[in-house]
Amino acid sequence: MTLFQASEIVKVFPGVRALDGVTLSLEAGSVHALLGENGAGKSTLIKVITGLYRPDGGRLLLDGQEVSFGSPHESASAGIGVVHQERNLIPGFTVGENILLQKLPTSRGLIDRSAIRSEASRWLAELELDIDPDQPVTELSVAQAQLVEIAKALSIESRVLLLDEPTASITPNEAALLFRVVQKLKDDGRAVLFVSHKLEEVFQICDTVTVLRDGASVLSGGALSDLTRDQVVDLMVGRVHEALNLPERTVDTSVAPILELRGVGTATGHAEVDLTVRPGEIVGLYGLVGAGRSELAKALLGLDRITAGEVLVRGKAVKIRTVRDALRNHKIGYVTENRKEEGVFLEQSVARNIAVTIWDRLRKPLGYVPAKAETAIVTSYVEQLGIRIASPSQLVGTLSGGNQQKVSLAKWLAAQTEILIIDEPTVGIDVRTKDAFHTLIWDLAANGLAILLITSDLPEMITLADRVVVMRDHRIQGELPNDHNYDHMSQQVIRLIHAEGTTAA
Amino acid sequence: MSAPVSETATQALQEDAPVEKPPRGTPWWANQRIGLLLLVVLLGALFGVLRPAFFNQQLVIFPLLRDIAMFTVVGLAQLCVLSIGHMNLAVGRMAAFSMMITGISYDLFHLTLYSGLLVGLVAGTAIGALAGWVIARTGVNSFVVTLALDFLLLGMIPLVYTSLTDNAAFVVKPPGMRELRNYSLADVCVGNVCGSPAVPQLALFAVVAMVVVGWIYSRTRLGRELLMTGSSVRAAELSGIPTARRVITAHAMSGCLAALAGFMLAVSTGSIKATIGEEFMLPSFLGPILGGTLLAGGFVSIWGTLIGTALTSVIRKGLDLLGVGLESLNIYLGLILLVALSTDRVRTLLSDRSVLGGPPLTSPPPPKREGEPR
Repeated sequence: MTLFQASEIVKVFPGVRALDGVTLSLEAGSVHALLGENGAGKSTLIKVITGLYRPDGGRLLLDGQEVSFGSPHESASAGIGVVHQERNLIPGFTVGENILLQKLPTSRGLIDRSAIRSEASRWLAELELDIDPDQPVTELSVAQAQLVEIAKALSIESRVLLLDEPTASITPNEAALLFRVVQKLKDDGRAVLFVSHKLEEVFQICDTVTVLRDGASVLSGGALSDLTRDQVVDLMVGRVHEALNLPERTVDTSVAPILELRGVGTATGHAEVDLTVRPGEIVGLYGLVGAGRSELAKALLGLDRITAGEVLVRGKAVKIRTVRDALRNHKIGYVTENRKEEGVFLEQSVARNIAVTIWDRLRKPLGYVPAKAETAIVTSYVEQLGIRIASPSQLVGTLSGGNQQKVSLAKWLAAQTEILIIDEPTVGIDVRTKDAFHTLIWDLAANGLAILLITSDLPEMITLADRVVVMRDHRIQGELPNDHNYDHMSQQVIRLIHAEGTTAA
Repeated sequence: MSAPVSETATQALQEDAPVEKPPRGTPWWANQRIGLLLLVVLLGALFGVLRPAFFNQQLVIFPLLRDIAMFTVVGLAQLCVLSIGHMNLAVGRMAAFSMMITGISYDLFHLTLYSGLLVGLVAGTAIGALAGWVIARTGVNSFVVTLALDFLLLGMIPLVYTSLTDNAAFVVKPPGMRELRNYSLADVCVGNVCGSPAVPQLALFAVVAMVVVGWIYSRTRLGRELLMTGSSVRAAELSGIPTARRVITAHAMSGCLAALAGFMLAVSTGSIKATIGEEFMLPSFLGPILGGTLLAGGFVSIWGTLIGTALTSVIRKGLDLLGVGLESLNIYLGLILLVALSTDRVRTLLSDRSVLGGPPLTSPPPPKREGEPR
């Protein structure tokens, strides 16, 4: 039974038809995938469905009745719940308050705390989540926060649930939990729309698929069981997508490591961390969210205290106090996982975003920075990394995720680093750009850069890394040479994570 | 060694996606500074028509420009901390503190006019740096720290004055102070060409301050790093900017400019007393904010500060000449500013809509383009 249908939707922005006759049908008791590259119109479509944008053409049908939403509030009241890609929980509030935010239970005008607790517990129980409704949301892990958002979307009695990239920043285990929840929703007869860049997941949990390309649906409501992964990718990119083919690259293991950690412990709780990275080598650091990988990187950069062991850079024991110190004296760079908040300055120009690490090098007496030299470097990286912009003075906030990530990386390349820590480089980035990033990282290593790659994307890890180091609970669990064979490697990695029969925290 | 990006990688990174065009730049009529400038000119003309005395060079224009110059410097003092997203509520008291030190240097050590100014600037820089240091060190909000400092100085300054002077003002005036107060550009001649008698020499201090601050923000590493820190402290820290030091620098610059403004006020009123700078705090925000400097940090406008200050000063002066009493004057001033700021907002909305066609926006930075992953 078709629960919801968006029919022949048109949305025009000046100069561009963002949506050009897109049709999407959601069936009760079914999970529908919405696929497409960045800019294909997925987010626009979701915004039209939730009433954030008003369509310029086409109709929205709920239970066969034509509906029109003037605001997200109206679509929510009609039973359409949405979980956006970015977190939308309010930090100062508890889990319960966040779940019931849209209609907080009150008694005589005051918030009724016990009602919140029981109400919220009901929704958490429905999702089989073991989370205390009184817990502040700031204490939740990323995956838990994601699930709480789903509980929030369900709490408005939604029969249609839109999930926009729900697994972008969670690990496979957490994703598995999410998928169980999706399965349960499906069994309850709700219609679920699932947007993701990860095709493995799509094939795992979705029944039907709509593929968007350049604002039009190139496939509308096809059964996934009739399609192969390659066929789907071809539909998305509009031409035959070649599987990523990386050239040979060997690591000279006789070279001394450029970065070495010996028995490092930190204030965050790392203990006895041993790790080496050689020039030209990509070392993958894998683990579940909360295993302490990014925290280790930050401690290396002096953002957290190292309490034990020693860090050697180019064979010499060093104490790194600040990122500036790491950059200037040791040529270490860190591409953060938190692109929007830590990686780029959204309200500054592309030029300044890239040049931020080189002003120190360019400056003349009195701190004068010659605009010419700055522009030359910026332009060269914009070209080399294929950053698509109208001018270097364009604000980074107006760029797509992929281009923002290029900017975030460009500043470290411009800084001429020799050791680069790259944290989750391709979260929320479409298939083709992802391949380009993999080629780039591979290529940087081939040119002698030492790379410590932190990623929760196992296929990415197995494509790129020379060695995979597995971390759990702030300790190194083991190390595996990578044979680039996905089936074999993924089993070994997962086994290592769950070694000693304990479950990961 | 650098890590050049090889041809293969560059090739792979090229997308055939269209260039992501930013929403077209706002049209000229939506430019905040131009709108304000027009408003200043229009109001000036209006007041001039209503009261021809408004154009009297000696009695109106001269003191008006002196006021604008001083409050522009006050505005710049606030602008420096606004650039990193901070506030300086002690801007007036920092001026008072610096002038107290300057007064002592004249009174007890008989320094010349400009050495005393220098001592005052150093004192201002020091007290600003202290505020910055406390903020950087403790991580307490700048609002709270400067508010506390304001109270501290509020109590301390009169104590010093009463213990050192007879009637709460330093009476020793270094030679040249009175002249500086009254001299205009007419007293500055190159050959036979002299400047306008309507422009006070004191205004030159503001010009120098604007040039220096403008140069720092547009041309130097320091200025850029301040703006980046204002945009996002975390991203700045992770890009290797010494954010703690930048916080201290910004507050030190603020203190130094506050001291300069205090000096300009002392010269134009002819006395160095404890109450200097009492009226600085609110105007210090008005100028920059009207002129487009972001409260949240990351963007400053030096010109805007001048024009914003000019607007408030012209309104004040004009209403004063029209015989509006002090209380009603403040009501009118408040109303006009509200209208100025909201028409500005409406203009931005209109231009955004005509450019984008998107839904109305709720914040000034250009919206993210549709269709991008959010």
